[in-house]
Amino acid sequence: MVNFVVRRLAFMVVILVGVSFLTFLIVNVLPGDVATTILGDFASPEQVEALRERLDLDRPVLQRYAEWAAGMVGGDFGVSLKSNQPIGPILWNRLANSLVLAAMGMAVAIPIGIALGVVTAVHRDSLLDRAITATVVVIFALPEYVTGLALIIVFSLEWNLLPASSLVLPGQSLWANPMTLILPVAVVALGMLAYLCQVTRASMIAALNSGYVRTAVLKGLTRRRIVVTHALRNAMIPTLAEIGLGFGYSLGGLVVIETVFSYPGIGQFLVQSIQNRDIPGLQAGVLVVAAAYGIGNLVADVGSLALNPRLRS
Amino acid sequence: MTGAPGHNLRVEGLSIAYGSGPRTLHAVRDVSFTIARGEAYGLIGESGSGKTTVAFALLNYLRGGVIRGGTIEVAGEDVLAMAPAALRDFRGNRAAMVYQDPMSSLNPAIIVGEQIAEALRRHRGLDRRAAWERAVDLLALVDLPGPAALARRHPHQLSGGQQQRVVIALALSCEPDLLILDEPTTGLDTTTQAVVLDLIGELRQRVRASILFISHNLGVVAETCERIGVLYAGELVEEGPCATVVSRPGHPYTAGLLRSMPRADRAAALRPIPGSLPDLTRPPAGCIFADRCEVASAACREGRPGVRRLAGDHLARCLFPERVADLPAGDAGPLARAQGPAPDDAAASLPKLAIEGLGVTFRQRRGLPLIGRLEETRALDGVSLAVPRGQTLAVVGESGSGKSTLARSVVGLIAAERGGLRFEDKALAPRAAGREPDLLRRIQIIFQNPDGALNPQRRVLDIVGRPLRLYGRAPAAAIPARVEELLALVRLGARFAARFPHELSGGEKQRVNIARVLAADPELIVCDEPTSALDISVQAGVLNQLRELQAESGLTYLFISHDLAVVRTISDTVAVLYLGRVVETGPTATVFAGPHHPYTDSLLAALPEVGRPRRPAVAVPPLPGGTGRGCLFAPRCPQRIPGTCDRLVPPLAATGDGRLMACHVPLAGLAEAQRARDAGGRD
Repeated sequence: MVNFVVRRLAFMVVILVGVSFLTFLIVNVLPGDVATTILGDFASPEQVEALRERLDLDRPVLQRYAEWAAGMVGGDFGVSLKSNQPIGPILWNRLANSLVLAAMGMAVAIPIGIALGVVTAVHRDSLLDRAITATVVVIFALPEYVTGLALIIVFSLEWNLLPASSLVLPGQSLWANPMTLILPVAVVALGMLAYLCQVTRASMIAALNSGYVRTAVLKGLTRRRIVVTHALRNAMIPTLAEIGLGFGYSLGGLVVIETVFSYPGIGQFLVQSIQNRDIPGLQAGVLVVAAAYGIGNLVADVGSLALNPRLRS
Repeated sequence: MTGAPGHNLRVEGLSIAYGSGPRTLHAVRDVSFTIARGEAYGLIGESGSGKTTVAFALLNYLRGGVIRGGTIEVAGEDVLAMAPAALRDFRGNRAAMVYQDPMSSLNPAIIVGEQIAEALRRHRGLDRRAAWERAVDLLALVDLPGPAALARRHPHQLSGGQQQRVVIALALSCEPDLLILDEPTTGLDTTTQAVVLDLIGELRQRVRASILFISHNLGVVAETCERIGVLYAGELVEEGPCATVVSRPGHPYTAGLLRSMPRADRAAALRPIPGSLPDLTRPPAGCIFADRCEVASAACREGRPGVRRLAGDHLARCLFPERVADLPAGDAGPLARAQGPAPDDAAASLPKLAIEGLGVTFRQRRGLPLIGRLEETRALDGVSLAVPRGQTLAVVGESGSGKSTLARSVVGLIAAERGGLRFEDKALAPRAAGREPDLLRRIQIIFQNPDGALNPQRRVLDIVGRPLRLYGRAPAAAIPARVEELLALVRLGARFAARFPHELSGGEKQRVNIARVLAADPELIVCDEPTSALDISVQAGVLNQLRELQAESGLTYLFISHDLAVVRTISDTVAVLYLGRVVETGPTATVFAGPHHPYTDSLLAALPEVGRPRRPAVAVPPLPGGTGRGCLFAPRCPQRIPGTCDRLVPPLAATGDGRLMACHVPLAGLAEAQRARDAGGRD
């Protein structure tokens, strides 16, 4: 068990080194001179030279990478080219905001998604199953900006119930206006619960057709015990892996949702870094998202370990 | 077929169908039998006989099937009329079942003690603690070692035999009126099967339930049950006392089944049952077996024969049961052995295949990558064997013996690390990729699972034609005609060429596999358990086929099997493998005559066969791997010499009667020990 966690952590470190190196190389694969690219064609030679110096572009790549990586490990995320502020505090703030969005979205999506998956599997091919499964497929197929805009049109513009934007004013906390969270959380939750419902339904159907569920039925157990204790426990193993992936996705992949709702999360931070050609910001952001994916997966794997005794020995 | 007084289970006129409309499959038709309290009744049948459908119906568990008629009563209660709540109280409580595959019948995520305890809480109203204590007692009842600790284990931490004992303990937990055993030992190793059969025999004395024992293996049923019923294509065709049915069968199908069974205690030719199961979407009006029957006449096809009472409670659904005795015995005619090689051929004196000191080790790293402990399993350890041209060498062993690794090494699917392979005078590269195409063509393999070896997207014509194209054995225009010839060789008509694998029965699939292998025009065929997935009556046909092909074209076989009876029937020489080492090898007749290597002896002793008492099994847990020192079988060996066997590896030495054996005990000592034990009888 401990062995397994240590092994997974070791793999995660390897992955992060790989990701960070590739990210760092972005600077070098940009066509032409990086400093010129960042500053644009109208920059003066002095400006370009100053930036070159700041980015240490004249030194070997490996050396620069080693120093940057050492800084990252020590919590020094570098300085933003745009604002000249240290990246660390901005990034942590954005990460915390994204965590709030992801956690709330998952808190809604996990119980509903699993419950719908179980209900549709138990009543497989019934009218109820067909109705739920069809709805879920449609939701899953819609891009997030469509569901997001649709919710804004209905709840903000038509009925005027909820704010359309989650814009946080400088100096204000995300919690200053909790109502602004509802719509983005709803969009995150909808997409995720559609996916979890489908995964759970498929693994529940497999579990319900298994030999051990047949044994449980012929033991004379109650239906509730058969479904919950015998089938769901095993069916949760693949679902849990998807939850882990979904967690990583909610932290880094919500670019569209965060943009639609002007939500100050890490996805929006990445987009802004690209727009501003803020390379240190982009590098730090990508690395944090990669780490989030890794941790999400690790948590899911440890969870499956708890559910699947075959992995433990 | 008729009710005996005091019966506990009564099945009357049971008919079950699957599907609806013209595709309705009439799986079980008008089946009646009874079992008294304390009686064990064996239900024999091949695949498609409906035996498992009947078993599940007794628990009113139909899985898509529809009861078309009949009643089932357990202890006077009508099972088919029970409401859902009553049914839940009945299942697992008044009637319980032991399943064919114990691994998949137990929940992998729940410790085994809890899986028994939950049934006790449900039906016996015990609290958590009392239920747990009772579960541990039950595990002790089925002879599991250290039941208190074992109860806290998960199924995957137990061996197959231990898992099946847990399932038996679960079935017995509420002291049921009816205990159903559905192929409880199929899939277990011979020696494990023996231990489980002994347990069932012992429990019978203590349990006052009616036992329904379902199996395709007459030997297993014959030793466990008082009466047996023979199910064919959904109908009960014969029923009677076990000893009578196996010695004087009253139905031609039962007789055919007996003559299809290979035997380990004597060399016997097999006589397969011709034809195949009737189409049960349109069952014939006459006798269900008439189309395959050798004594049938016109009257048999006119109406369904009634039940004839042959003697006492021996019944058969046959118009001419007296003709069964006149059926020819198991004598498909002695097969011509392949002619020896021409003496002037220099290569002829060489064995077709020589295996020289072959070693394969599987490694798996535990713990951390790169630095974790490397765990080694020696699948093959210094195996040397030779297969003479035109003959069959059988390799026998239980799971984990390395026999499949040997087969895969010979065809180059697994690269041996030590030792070598010679094909006639050529050294074989360890990997198939390193062998020249013509050598690949000359060495072919028939796999155990005929399903997995056939591409479901291709027609038989393409499957059998593929080696013809690949090895350039026939011009493109001549391929269909050649495929037809090959299909004829394996007794399949030309119409099979257009079929897809899913349109074939198991026996037909394996025949297509053989035809595909023959298309390459091979000289050596590695047969890896080619009949273990087939019904007995089908197996007989395939085995006869292989022997005939050998007699006609001088093929050489390396035949891998766990079934000693099959090995005795098919092979000229035999090698017994234990944990990757050869423990005994020699001419088949000599090896079976004995005195045996203690391991061979334990395999033979464990084999249930009709009309031959089986000795009680010695319950010793197998110790794979061992210390690497001494004889690997020593921990299980009754003739172990302390101080010698556990320290020195016995060399594979000549015994003087044409065999090689790896045992420290001299042959005379083994002979004496085995004679003394046989004289002691079953006790």
